[in-house]
Amino acid sequence: MLKVILALLNGLVGAGLLHLVIILSLPSFSERDAYSRVLGEGPPHRFHVLAARVDAAGLQKTDPFLDTAVCAFDLSENPVRLTARGTLPFWSLATFDSASNEIFSINDRTSVGNGLDVLLATPVQATALRKAQPSPLSQSIIVETRAVQGYAVLRAMAPQASYKPMTTKFLAGADCSTLELR
Amino acid sequence: MQKVLPGLFRLPFLVLLALTVAFGGGIWSTLVALDATTGFGAIRLGAWEAFPQAQTADADPYAKAHRANGGRLLYGSAEGLSFTATVDQKGERLSGRCTYLISGQTPVARLWTLFASRANGEAPATGQDLPVALNSRTVLRDGNGAFVITIAPQAAPGNWLAVPPDEPFRLTLTLLDTPTAGSSGLIDLAMPRIDRIGCGHA
Repeated sequence: MLKVILALLNGLVGAGLLHLVIILSLPSFSERDAYSRVLGEGPPHRFHVLAARVDAAGLQKTDPFLDTAVCAFDLSENPVRLTARGTLPFWSLATFDSASNEIFSINDRTSVGNGLDVLLATPVQATALRKAQPSPLSQSIIVETRAVQGYAVLRAMAPQASYKPMTTKFLAGADCSTLELR
Repeated sequence: MQKVLPGLFRLPFLVLLALTVAFGGGIWSTLVALDATTGFGAIRLGAWEAFPQAQTADADPYAKAHRANGGRLLYGSAEGLSFTATVDQKGERLSGRCTYLISGQTPVARLWTLFASRANGEAPATGQDLPVALNSRTVLRDGNGAFVITIAPQAAPGNWLAVPPDEPFRLTLTLLDTPTAGSSGLIDLAMPRIDRIGCGHA
């Protein structure tokens, strides 16, 4: 009987260890995480507008008033410039690394002018950009990040149905393409 | 036990028992933990609950595992903070059989949105004629800026949020562009109350 109790105790300790191992390693193995789902939306460096119902990639716009678009980016070659233009009651952008940790977020009040213009760059690219100071980028907010891969989420608010065309236009005009450095 | 099992099978039996408990218990407890909690670091205000750190690198391992498994798009700290409620002010589950009143004011925020969803988090059906969601621009307020919202399957005067009848539901109140998102939860925040005012079809 003592041996059975010992075996059970062994099992419980093993269960505890397994619990910790799964919890700690889940973020690196999960294929259901937000980054994988954003990649499943379609080609990277392009904003994909989400539907109200869960799509094939497993994403949806969760808030009925916030139209949402996502874009996966990769900074290994070139920096990425996120732009969008339009006057809305509210819009916001959040960028995450591939482990879904927030890198940077901004909303219409904290941005310059009434448009979105954010440049994501690795420290090396950011140094090169500051040195070159290309004039079209003088208004851009340069965000330095060590995360090479990640995704951006752009939300546009339509508090009433009549704002829908504006948010649709805002998200359709949003750009997430790479910036060629010379 | 010695009498039931011949000596030859005793050791394999004990190993099997230990392994079954380890794998069964480990997997079961992980599934329960992922299902039950979004991690530590919640701020609770009355019936409402929010996780201001859930999307950051500082989130605890349970929050990170939960977010990797859930795959939801979380709000950045400059975007807003999402509060959810599955119970009323007295701690009883929100149900479509009952009528509730949400009253009071929200913490400081530029805008807010409120919607009801199914208990499993499924989004409300939009494009229906029923008001399944409200926001700070469409809500009717009194002279002090406070609001009262009736939540019921049957239509009600004033602010009405329609919920599916006879089903548990969950409320999500998202504060957009709010200093609350950066708060440690130590400052005194007042969230609206959720009071049950009646049940059944009486």
